[in-house]
Amino acid sequence: MLILLSLFVALLIFILGNAARVIRYVRLPLPLRWELYPIPKGPRERQSYGGSYFEDSEGWNQRPEKDRLGQLKFAAKEVLLLGTVRDNLRPLWAWSLLLHWGLYLCAVALVIGEVSRVANSFRLIDLAVITHAIGCLLGLIGSVGTLAVRLTHSRLRNDTGRITIFNLLLLGGIFATGLLSFERLAFGRYFLAMFLRGFPAAAISLQLPLAITLHLCLVAFFLAYFPFTHMTHAYMKFFSWHGVRWDDRPAVHDSRASRSLAVSVKRRVTWSAPHIAGEQAASWAEVVADVAGKGGAKRA
Amino acid sequence: MSQGRGARSVLKPADIAHGSGQLTALDPQKLIPLPAPYDDLASLPRHKAPDPQKVDISLDGFSALGFASPQTAEEENDLIDAFIAGLKKLLDSDNNWTFLRQLRLSLDQCARCQTCVEACPIYEASGHDEVYRPTFRSEVFRRVVKQYAQPGGEALAWLQGETVELNITTLARLLESAYRCTLCRRCAQVCPMGLDNALLTRELRKLFSMELGVAPKELHEKGSMVQLRTGSSTGMNKRAVRDNIEFLDDEIGDQTGPVIKTPWDKEGADVLLIHNAGEILGWPENPMAFAIILEAAGISWTMSSDLAGYDSVNYGLWYDDVQFARVAVRQAEAARKLKVKRIVLGECGHGHKASMVTADRLLAGDGNIPRESALVLLRDIVRSGRLKLDPARNDFPVTLHDPCNMVRMMGIVEPQREILRAICPQFREMTPQGVNNYCCGGGSGFAIMSGHNFEDWRFLVSGRKKLKQVLDAFADCPGPERKKYVCAPCSNCKGQIRDLFRYYGVWEKSAILYGGLAELIVNAMVAVKEPFIKWEFH
Repeated sequence: MLILLSLFVALLIFILGNAARVIRYVRLPLPLRWELYPIPKGPRERQSYGGSYFEDSEGWNQRPEKDRLGQLKFAAKEVLLLGTVRDNLRPLWAWSLLLHWGLYLCAVALVIGEVSRVANSFRLIDLAVITHAIGCLLGLIGSVGTLAVRLTHSRLRNDTGRITIFNLLLLGGIFATGLLSFERLAFGRYFLAMFLRGFPAAAISLQLPLAITLHLCLVAFFLAYFPFTHMTHAYMKFFSWHGVRWDDRPAVHDSRASRSLAVSVKRRVTWSAPHIAGEQAASWAEVVADVAGKGGAKRA
Repeated sequence: MSQGRGARSVLKPADIAHGSGQLTALDPQKLIPLPAPYDDLASLPRHKAPDPQKVDISLDGFSALGFASPQTAEEENDLIDAFIAGLKKLLDSDNNWTFLRQLRLSLDQCARCQTCVEACPIYEASGHDEVYRPTFRSEVFRRVVKQYAQPGGEALAWLQGETVELNITTLARLLESAYRCTLCRRCAQVCPMGLDNALLTRELRKLFSMELGVAPKELHEKGSMVQLRTGSSTGMNKRAVRDNIEFLDDEIGDQTGPVIKTPWDKEGADVLLIHNAGEILGWPENPMAFAIILEAAGISWTMSSDLAGYDSVNYGLWYDDVQFARVAVRQAEAARKLKVKRIVLGECGHGHKASMVTADRLLAGDGNIPRESALVLLRDIVRSGRLKLDPARNDFPVTLHDPCNMVRMMGIVEPQREILRAICPQFREMTPQGVNNYCCGGGSGFAIMSGHNFEDWRFLVSGRKKLKQVLDAFADCPGPERKKYVCAPCSNCKGQIRDLFRYYGVWEKSAILYGGLAELIVNAMVAVKEPFIKWEFH
């Protein structure tokens, strides 16, 4: 009962924590443009060398290009194959790929489990258990391998701190206990069936084996811990790709730009350097309008 | 005093706070090798290192800023307090609305995977010196932000074993370290998370400039401040620039035949051409070439004598958002007053990016006058056939440098290549090329910065990869008997390449000249009787 309650609370923290992170980010003011090429959108021939609409005469008249397919292809290569790690840090790549695929398969197992509940299918439950086990196996190999490379590779060991080691050990622990749970396949199958069909009364009345108990405890901890770590890159990279690196929308075609600027120029500037600071706080509009660039002495 | 880490090979971010000597010392034996006759490092001139009692050189023995450590503990504490105040302002929507989103992502999401580090030409050229590893600086910055500028940060940093002591040594080394990255953003290109060490470096520069008032004098005091006061970072005021251009108009008449009078402040022109004003003084053949081409092609164009209207320079792009915005707004204002149809940016990479990309959202409404690259206009003119061009006049080996700001940060890759393929029969690419090309080593203001002995670092380390690329591109004709040309359509890149070539004696040893794109076009123009390219190194 306590474990189920922990899982529930952890899930709640997971959802709220991640939502808060996203909301906090989205509510930040629209920044200045800072794109970087190649941007995987636009005509194919241009994508091949990283060109942009700036290459066209009167490029400013063009509507921004929206090639979702190009972006999806790039994202798929990154998420499923860790393309840039493969191309730039091969010693880490295979291990990191296994670790990531371990996590993906565990997530897939959860989805299959949920479908099996709705479909009332024991075959799907078996599939979920096996997918989970394969995920745990790959993840365990990946997390141990990643840890070993991080601690020994000349380029990585200097920046592999306590927190990185802890994270990898935590993931390794989750995968290892997940694998141990698989040894109790018959029980797992029975438990899952109970859990999924008769949640929660039948399942919670069972005495859980130690490996499963440990596995669930670690999963609960991981869920509650995840939103406060850099592991949120799993979804925050959407913002760094779409919101920064690929955001080449010209301001003339971007209604957000003028709306945001109208607010931002009224924001108060309190930077203290002599060429900015005035005798009183001033707005960005006032500071920028200061022709001599001498700060507030002119504005006062 | 210690001269670097010596036998201590593993450098941790926390080490930045410790030791009274240098954190590292450049080891010439570890620099990436150059082909003969450029492999003799001993013969290269070196500046005398400044007195460490007067100027801080505790990072690597070089000084870009001439920072002098405070004399009293009270002054030290004041500086550290100001630095912490600045950290908090960087995280504040009011003070840093301009880049807070990007900053937050790069602070929070790094997995320390080090995928990015080999992309850095400085790290590679130095022989993998840890101090120049792009993630070393970022990691120190990240830890300092967490520990000193976020609630509960101190306890969290201790718990995670990621503390960095913030003392005057940390501050001085971080300051210099912020000027050991050219902001070329090659590392950002390969980050799996889409994060950006260069952005973090720039934020660090901003903090020092906007809160502590510390910035390289070449960029601030003698750069953007002079530009806001006189109209140009060169110090040329309206009258001086018009006199200089008038002189160049006369030169065109003397050298090439056609009499040209550069139009000034012509209302309603199609094109307001804004050069990097440094071209007018340093490489006058470039504005001359533009005038010849635009007149021959029948373009309706003008130059502006308004404040900042004749200089596309915007050094704030590299170190200070307020200075950046002040210049960008004034340049747009000059165009708006003349009611021109578009601004065309001359061969200046950072001027391109500052005006066309970074300032885009600052110029909402009337201020958002269309801006276009000169490379695109030149490509259209060449493509149109309005100029009669003879490629045989450019029958010498030519390679192309890709200015980071135009290419990697704007995606302007093909127009310049289309021109070169059309008019230079011996055009060959560097490796790598286009958006993957390397920085010239003078990016983010380095090309105009000399500091105390900073130039030595600029030539030995930051420009080394580019020199190797250039030499490799001409590997089939390395000697001085055959003249060669590096096309670098950017003022700052040209400045760096000029200084780099002079330092290594490239003109004497290999007869490699550098110059812009417009010059090659005019050199191929049948209507221009004498060769426009003079093959004189300057």
